[in-house]
Amino acid sequence: MLDALDQVRLLLVTGKGGTGKTTVAASLAVAAGLRGRRTLVAEVEGRQGLAGLFGRRSLDHREARVAERVNALAIDPDESLREYLARYGFAPLARLLTWAHLNRFITAAAPGLGDVLLVGKVWEAATRQARDSQEAYDLVVLDAPPTGRVVPFLRAPQTVAELARVGPIRHQADRVRDLLDNPERTAVVLTCLPEELPVTETLEGVVSLRAAGLPVAAVVANRVTGDRLGGRAGRLAALAKDPAPLRAAAAAAGVELDGPALGTLLGEARDRQRQVARERRMLKELRAGLDRLPMVELPFLADGAGSPEQIRILADRLAPAEPEVRPRGRARRAAVGGAGG
Amino acid sequence: MTRQSSVAVDVKGSPSPLAGLARSARIIVCCGSGGVGKTSTAAAVAVWAAAAGRRTCVLTIDPARRLAQALGLDLLANAPRPVKGKGLPTGGPGSLDAMMLDMRRTFDEVIERYARDEEQVDRILANRFYQRLSSTLAGTQEYMAMEKLYELHESHRYDLLVVDTPPTRSALDFLDAPDNLNELLDARAFRLLIAPAQRIGRGYLRGLNLATTAMTKMVRRVTGSELLAEVGEFFAAFEGMYDGFKERAGLVYDQLKHPSTAFVVVATPDGAALHEAAFFAGRLAADRMPLGALVVNRIHRAGPVPQVPQAARRRLAAGADGRLLADLLELHDGLEALAAAEQRRVRELLVSVPSLGVVQVPLLADDVHDLPGLRRLGEHLFA
Repeated sequence: MLDALDQVRLLLVTGKGGTGKTTVAASLAVAAGLRGRRTLVAEVEGRQGLAGLFGRRSLDHREARVAERVNALAIDPDESLREYLARYGFAPLARLLTWAHLNRFITAAAPGLGDVLLVGKVWEAATRQARDSQEAYDLVVLDAPPTGRVVPFLRAPQTVAELARVGPIRHQADRVRDLLDNPERTAVVLTCLPEELPVTETLEGVVSLRAAGLPVAAVVANRVTGDRLGGRAGRLAALAKDPAPLRAAAAAAGVELDGPALGTLLGEARDRQRQVARERRMLKELRAGLDRLPMVELPFLADGAGSPEQIRILADRLAPAEPEVRPRGRARRAAVGGAGG
Repeated sequence: MTRQSSVAVDVKGSPSPLAGLARSARIIVCCGSGGVGKTSTAAAVAVWAAAAGRRTCVLTIDPARRLAQALGLDLLANAPRPVKGKGLPTGGPGSLDAMMLDMRRTFDEVIERYARDEEQVDRILANRFYQRLSSTLAGTQEYMAMEKLYELHESHRYDLLVVDTPPTRSALDFLDAPDNLNELLDARAFRLLIAPAQRIGRGYLRGLNLATTAMTKMVRRVTGSELLAEVGEFFAAFEGMYDGFKERAGLVYDQLKHPSTAFVVVATPDGAALHEAAFFAGRLAADRMPLGALVVNRIHRAGPVPQVPQAARRRLAAGADGRLLADLLELHDGLEALAAAEQRRVRELLVSVPSLGVVQVPLLADDVHDLPGLRRLGEHLFA
């Protein structure tokens, strides 16, 4: 269970590419929603990764309800620029920009300005007070850029503010920093896989995020293979050499499996044990490197993690829902498929 | 192998679509989302091509440390270095070089090569806007990879260049990179924004003129004036280099479209990775880029085991070995279901790109981080 889920206003999910960043961000949002928090989950990379996880074709700059107490949003720099200009009283100019197709030029001409606008929008959602037109949230979960890019991304407002020493950008940059650097309001979660490269990159990511003063709260080890055969590796090895006892057990139960079939079963089981052992080694290395930083494991789901049902399974693993909505043994068992529990 | 003979990419009769590509393509671009084994796939293709007698160079962006060591990669060089190791061709026709791209260095080198004089080089390299542009701007890395690719291609030192694309927000940004960078470097567009009113002209332009004046004020007010000054200085320093950039971007783009280039989309059978792969394939097709093959790494496979009814399984609960066998059967069921789900997802992807040749690579027992590992991966890729 991630304590941060109940406490902070902003959860930033980052990780090496391919480690399930988007899946974990969606699952954290659903978990928070189930625990009663009004939650917004947002993506910023224009990949439309969140939409499918909630059974939708696409998401845009309008906040759309995707699960219980969860809204989702795909933030794009153009739209954020329009909003930003409108907020500072430049609405007519925003319309003019659109008319002249110059938005793209503006965001391209000032490096980092796109990121400034994206981070600014996240800040706006996380600190928003409820208005007639827009909901306020208890928690914003951001599917942030991958570890290699996340620090420059989150620090873009500061970077641009260094060039712009005065004016609204400077002012906003300071307020964004106040939110991001406060461990009581913001938590960074890194996703990882039990594999060599992701473990190395996660540990490096923790160091660089901390060096930048960002509050790292936890690591989620994703797609961990379940260990069904734990403690029986020795027996498996013996049976692989001499499968006679297994054949006898099959015969005694009237199970028709010939030598090659038993050989296949043993081979698959030993492959899997090797996989489990390798993952355990990697997770041990990860845990050692993380010192006392909390780590949560998510199971490998045989059917992938691309649907709302699967996101719900992972959400339940990340945090049990509030007691009154708790009994969901069915969903949990469904997770076992290829993973074991 | 001559340049002309490499145009036709014939994969008929060869079991793996990659074999034909590695024998005849001049450029192979591996693309895919992060963490799918793109770098090792690119390296394994290069190792195989070198062994097949081609002078090969693999250009990589961000290799894992151990793989980088195995390939003898050295960021400081920013130029290809021969790969040494057991099983690589020595003295024969084939050879293998590898290099790791340093984006900033490449950009600096481009400036050095095409600037008028030392003074222009110094002015550009010292500019803060340039420094940020060359090291952080999204799209620059992709553009620089293409710039380096083109430089190596034009050097005629290699029969085959294998490129590993950077794992960016959208890993196909490099297709847009020339356009994006051009748009940015088009000083004329920028001047339009900061130009004093009289320079713009008359008549129908007056409306635009008004707009840009308002915009100038806005940019000043929002960003403070230093940013504008830095940008202005950059464009002043960049004077005269723009056309060269634009021209080369066009040449790179044409080379990528050429039939002697092949794009290989790399994925894993995971839903998200395949979703990205479909997006890639679609985007490449839309840009009429030559799509070579789809590589799906880390495929699970289940062996043949007869069905065992539940009633029979329950009887296995009697002894320790019986229970073990019941668990083995359940594991096998899980593996079968997983393998079937993966195949279903791969087939779904192929509906959107029906003609694409697919190479499936089984989940390997170990991470690929040395030359023997790359050769083992190659055996699966070219089986």
